Amino acid sequence: MTEYAKPIKRRKFNSDAAWGYAFIAAALLIFIMFTAYPVVSALIISFQDYKPLGSTFIGFDNYTETFKDSLFWKAIVNTIVYTLLTVPVSLFLSFSVSILILPFKKRMQTAFKAIYYLPAVASGVALSVVWLWIYDPMPEGIFNKLTAFFGLGTHNWLGSSTYAMFSLVLMAWLSSHGTSIIIYLAALLGIDGSYYEAAELDGANFFKKLWYIVVPCLKPTTLFLLVTGVIGSFQVFQNAYLMTGGGPDNATTMVGLLIFNNAFKYFEFGKAAAQSLILAAIIAGISVIQFKFLGKDVEY
Amino acid sequence: MKKKMRVLASVCALSMAVTALTACGSKDNAKTAATDDPNAKDTITALLPPVSANFQSSFDQISKDFTAKYPNLTLKIEPASWEDMTQKLDTQVNAGSPPDIAFIPSDGIPKYVDSGMLMDISDTATDEMIKDYDPAPLEYMKNGKGLYGFPAYMEAHAIGGNKEFMEKAGIDYKKVQKEGWTFDEFREAIKKGVVTENGKTSRYGFVFATAGVTSKDYLDILVKSAGMPSAFNKDLKYTYTSKNFLEVLKDMRVMIDDGSMPKELSSIDAGKRWNMFLTGQTMITGKGLAGFERSAKENNEKLKNNDPNAVKGSIPVEYVVLPVPSFAGAEAQTRVAVDGYVTFRGTKEPTAAHKANVVKAANFLSSGQVAATTNNELYVAQITESSRKAAESMPVDRDPDNKAAVETMLQHAVPARPDIPTDLGAKALKLEDEVIVPKLQALIAGEITPEAMYDAVKTAAVAAFGEDGVVKD
Repeated sequence: MTEYAKPIKRRKFNSDAAWGYAFIAAALLIFIMFTAYPVVSALIISFQDYKPLGSTFIGFDNYTETFKDSLFWKAIVNTIVYTLLTVPVSLFLSFSVSILILPFKKRMQTAFKAIYYLPAVASGVALSVVWLWIYDPMPEGIFNKLTAFFGLGTHNWLGSSTYAMFSLVLMAWLSSHGTSIIIYLAALLGIDGSYYEAAELDGANFFKKLWYIVVPCLKPTTLFLLVTGVIGSFQVFQNAYLMTGGGPDNATTMVGLLIFNNAFKYFEFGKAAAQSLILAAIIAGISVIQFKFLGKDVEY
Repeated sequence: MKKKMRVLASVCALSMAVTALTACGSKDNAKTAATDDPNAKDTITALLPPVSANFQSSFDQISKDFTAKYPNLTLKIEPASWEDMTQKLDTQVNAGSPPDIAFIPSDGIPKYVDSGMLMDISDTATDEMIKDYDPAPLEYMKNGKGLYGFPAYMEAHAIGGNKEFMEKAGIDYKKVQKEGWTFDEFREAIKKGVVTENGKTSRYGFVFATAGVTSKDYLDILVKSAGMPSAFNKDLKYTYTSKNFLEVLKDMRVMIDDGSMPKELSSIDAGKRWNMFLTGQTMITGKGLAGFERSAKENNEKLKNNDPNAVKGSIPVEYVVLPVPSFAGAEAQTRVAVDGYVTFRGTKEPTAAHKANVVKAANFLSSGQVAATTNNELYVAQITESSRKAAESMPVDRDPDNKAAVETMLQHAVPARPDIPTDLGAKALKLEDEVIVPKLQALIAGEITPEAMYDAVKTAAVAAFGEDGVVKD
């Protein structure tokens, strides 16, 4: 037994392993500093009345205050509504565009991928300014001109509770599918061509091939994009902050915006940290449910 | 060889760790004077936004002039955009390493006092310095008994009109500039300013920016002239539960309902309403700042010279400063913006010498030549004796009626309220952000009634301050 143990010990400390540890140490250090440390700090701060010159421990007060806060629950509902409206549609649009791009030659595929990825490279602030212009509430606004042309009248897109959420959702539908399209396309290219050939021999049409070959083969990709999409959507902040500021009447106040306001507007870092951790727990719970119910027959 | 590799790897890992941790270390005390010697060399840091058009480009000169006056001191100025200013400062404050001086609106003082990071300079500012400032704006830099910096200017928040349109509508604007007006008089005036062509409104009587950063301004400016100069009365009872508050809400709604203001008002931001004013889509606009007269003149000049940079579709406009009307029989009081140079401390107690040096720098920036130049550019009144003297030789192309109107309004400026405790102030701010502004947006969009908004504010106020903590009339 001792003879077997010795070589294992030696392997741990040979020169290759030493370099390995050095490189792991670098990544580990970055992870500890920029991920683990902030998370642990947030956990500690969530039990404190945070002040730069000395915080005081207040137990679960920040959590109980958050659970009693009607605005927090309104923000949660708004975030869920936004997620339900944006993520499935975004996945469907990305999937559809990928299917449409697939038949092209590689050069054309690359060109389309670049075009669709462009909004992800552009500044979110710049995009928001353009959308603010599109949603100009006056009759001469671009979107109002369009709706008036189709006889739908003009609307106060960002200034009324009825349309503000829809306006943010529409903005999400029409932008930033680049990453999903690239991932879907990579997955589509990975499907063995023999499946299609066999299906064609059996007389399958386009939709049958899509339903019985493409959709099942892309299930792991769809699950990945769904989980990451839901996580990203729950953390949405920029659109609400720049476009509506959470209004009107808190109709577009998302949890991310609420946390930001508590931290940087009111300096209530303890409450903001507690809300961040509650949000993290909600996201983790939803992700587990997604994996449990949608990931049953997924093979990686 | 293996041993050498292990050592090398360990050294690599260790040096990375040390480098990273060093980068995270605080340099809070590096800038402060290590001794109490007032003549020791010291560096004062300042985070300053573009207060006026040429302010940031003159930073090098300001620093040189400061060192010429105080040879042992260096003023290190970090520029920031208006957009970045708050976020940058808040991050530095909460990390415990703020700049020594920052330029902020005085209404931000309670928040930073509460964080414990503002430096009370009441024991360090000399009598000579204090005497230089007008008392009213200086009061705005106080909280409780502490003085937390020096004011740069006190600007009246007014409204502004198009001279030609008002004359056509038969409005005696010169009388209004001198004597003010009631809401009923104002309403009749803005009704006359509305122009309708083919059933569509081509010009509104009044447009006030209510979206984005201006969301708080509209109501806050109006309630000052409705007997509520502050969110708290002298007994520290919350005032927005008063019936006058409901009257103002009703008046705000009625101006939209009768077509004097656009129904899309809730989405009109500061840029949009200025564009509407310059393109002749409104007769009167708000909020109005003194600098708007200069902006209008500059655009007129561009139009005259066929400059393509003139605002698209704009017309020549003579900007007239107007006071906000009074409501419910109350005395008109002017909301003022007092911005200034506030003084911060680090996590460690500053030395007396450093504190005195910071005060010298804040005083240097807010008075004399620096303040004279900046305030002149902004068209705002000088608020120190030294800057008034320095500005004597500086030409100002300002309409004398507008200048007189602003001076009249400043005589009715809402006084500062340093007696409001920071915890009450913080609660009022949160109530404003989470209830008043959202409900106001809904009111302006026609989604709720003035009564519904009033009830919501009253309920939230009672929950925040208690039954006995609010005004009942």
